Amino acid sequence: MKLPDIRKLKLPKVSVQEVIKQLQVPTIKPIKIQAVSLKLDEFTIIKKEFQAPYTFLFTLSKALGGEPGQFVQVSLLPYGEVPISLCSYDRKNSQLLIKGVGNVTDAICALDVKSKLWIRGPYGRGYPVEEMKGKDLVVIAGGTGAAPPRSVLDYVELHRKNFGNVRVFFGFRNPEEILFKEDIERWQKKFETKITLDKGDENWKGHVGVITTILEDQKFEPNTAFVMCGPPIMIKFVIELLKKKNVKDEQIYVSLERRMKCGIKKCGHCMVHGKYVCRDGPVFRYDEIKGMEND
Amino acid sequence: MGKLLKKEDFNRFLLKLKSKGELIAPVKRDILRFEPVEDVKEICLEGLPWFPIKKFFLPAEHHLLEIETRRPVFKLRTNQQVIFGAKLCDLNGIARLDKLFLDEIPDQHYKEAREKTILIGIHCKEPVDENCFCESMNLKPFYDLMFYDIGDSYHIEIGSEKGRMLVSKFKDHKMELPAIKTEKHLKKIDISNYFDDKHWQKDTEKCLSCGKCTLLCPSCLCYDIHDEPDLSGENGFRKRLWDSCHYKDFTEVAGGHVFRDQRVSRYKHRVFHKIQYFKDEFEDFMCTGCGRCIRLCPRKIDFADTINKLK
Repeated sequence: MKLPDIRKLKLPKVSVQEVIKQLQVPTIKPIKIQAVSLKLDEFTIIKKEFQAPYTFLFTLSKALGGEPGQFVQVSLLPYGEVPISLCSYDRKNSQLLIKGVGNVTDAICALDVKSKLWIRGPYGRGYPVEEMKGKDLVVIAGGTGAAPPRSVLDYVELHRKNFGNVRVFFGFRNPEEILFKEDIERWQKKFETKITLDKGDENWKGHVGVITTILEDQKFEPNTAFVMCGPPIMIKFVIELLKKKNVKDEQIYVSLERRMKCGIKKCGHCMVHGKYVCRDGPVFRYDEIKGMEND
Repeated sequence: MGKLLKKEDFNRFLLKLKSKGELIAPVKRDILRFEPVEDVKEICLEGLPWFPIKKFFLPAEHHLLEIETRRPVFKLRTNQQVIFGAKLCDLNGIARLDKLFLDEIPDQHYKEAREKTILIGIHCKEPVDENCFCESMNLKPFYDLMFYDIGDSYHIEIGSEKGRMLVSKFKDHKMELPAIKTEKHLKKIDISNYFDDKHWQKDTEKCLSCGKCTLLCPSCLCYDIHDEPDLSGENGFRKRLWDSCHYKDFTEVAGGHVFRDQRVSRYKHRVFHKIQYFKDEFEDFMCTGCGRCIRLCPRKIDFADTINKLK
């Protein structure tokens, strides 16, 4: 099919104001298109660490690249493909946290060291770390949702001078389910880090309660960015609490979870109100998706 | 400037098309449907075929990758095809698929099929039945060649260089092109403020979530990707299969949470995608007004009527 000659097309007359309006750069920049590749790359698992029941941290033979908060499509051939968030940033060997919750993830969790995975990506728009420069940072995550914020904290550790006060709040179900124990110990020395459990046991001396209970007595300066990831119910209640503390929608960055198949804005599975979570997200500024995050 | 083809020369033209590749045209078998044609006399140009032509570009089941000893092998199909007798609504459906599949990250399988296909349309003299509403959908000329029945001959409009090559030897002919007037219309084209309308619930109560409407839609493209291993566990295929946003598992995520678990929210999602979301991004309706989803709905849910009833 031959396309019409662009030079011969009649363009509609647009006022100068209109053009300026359109040229205004949106606050969150879309990702660079060149970065997207459909090619499956071969990776070898060089380390497999037990994190929690059915949950493992896999270290790969190569770096994946990408920004904090982006995701990759991991294939175990010939069994299937799953979208997995990056959980490290700028490391020589990228890491992925995988929890066995379906056919493919179960099979991946059963793999041993030296097994091969085929990965394409990274895809999507991550947390806008450039935009958060010079701000205080509050990282809030629940359960397996701790993986994407870990890549943000990796970035923060590398560029500590770019950020003000950094606070980390993680919620887990019980002591068994606590993820990234080594990292948490390290973060506790650098940042204010608080962990809460839905249900403790006799050895647990920390906080017990849902995540909002450790956020309630916190004070947030207007110059704070919130990095959030977790189950929809957690996001709902945390945002309700932040609203009470006069936090603006524009300060909150939340990573949405959807079923993704293609990862390149085609298959339609991850569409939320006309936005594709795989390309326009998975990280959204809350004002972009307000009221539709559960649709 | 168009071309003229006498009806007595029509069959010869079809035979010429057959030499360009597999000829696909509406054939009356159990139902009227697009199928590869053996004998050109079988072709039936009356009425709208049940299924749109999207399956020749985006098959219901398609191998994206072949997996050999746990390694991906990428293969493209190679046959040439000529699609004859598609109506403007079906052709515009392909124009919609192009926008998504041939964007900055083109789908190689789709691109290959598009490049190897000649699209030849036939203009509807009048709407097929009372369910057509293409007049509201702002359809644009999108074809290699378009045939207009003018009694004893066909007037042919040329849409591309590929089409011009096929009819270069025919006599020139000028004609004012007729437009299609439909009975049914969409009274609203911007439904962005009607998301919480009560009528959605009423109209979708009888929906079965069977997915027939998405299956029959010329522009519905949502698909599932599914790997299928053989018994050795070493080889297999990565398949692309049609999927439907009406199915409950369409938005199911790990852990079993379903985001659109209400039937009404799934129906609403489809209507909004067809009329609003796609237009917001590409300035065209995704819906092309062919009326198939109305005509063949087992519960007689009327897509256009649902939108017209919103208050």
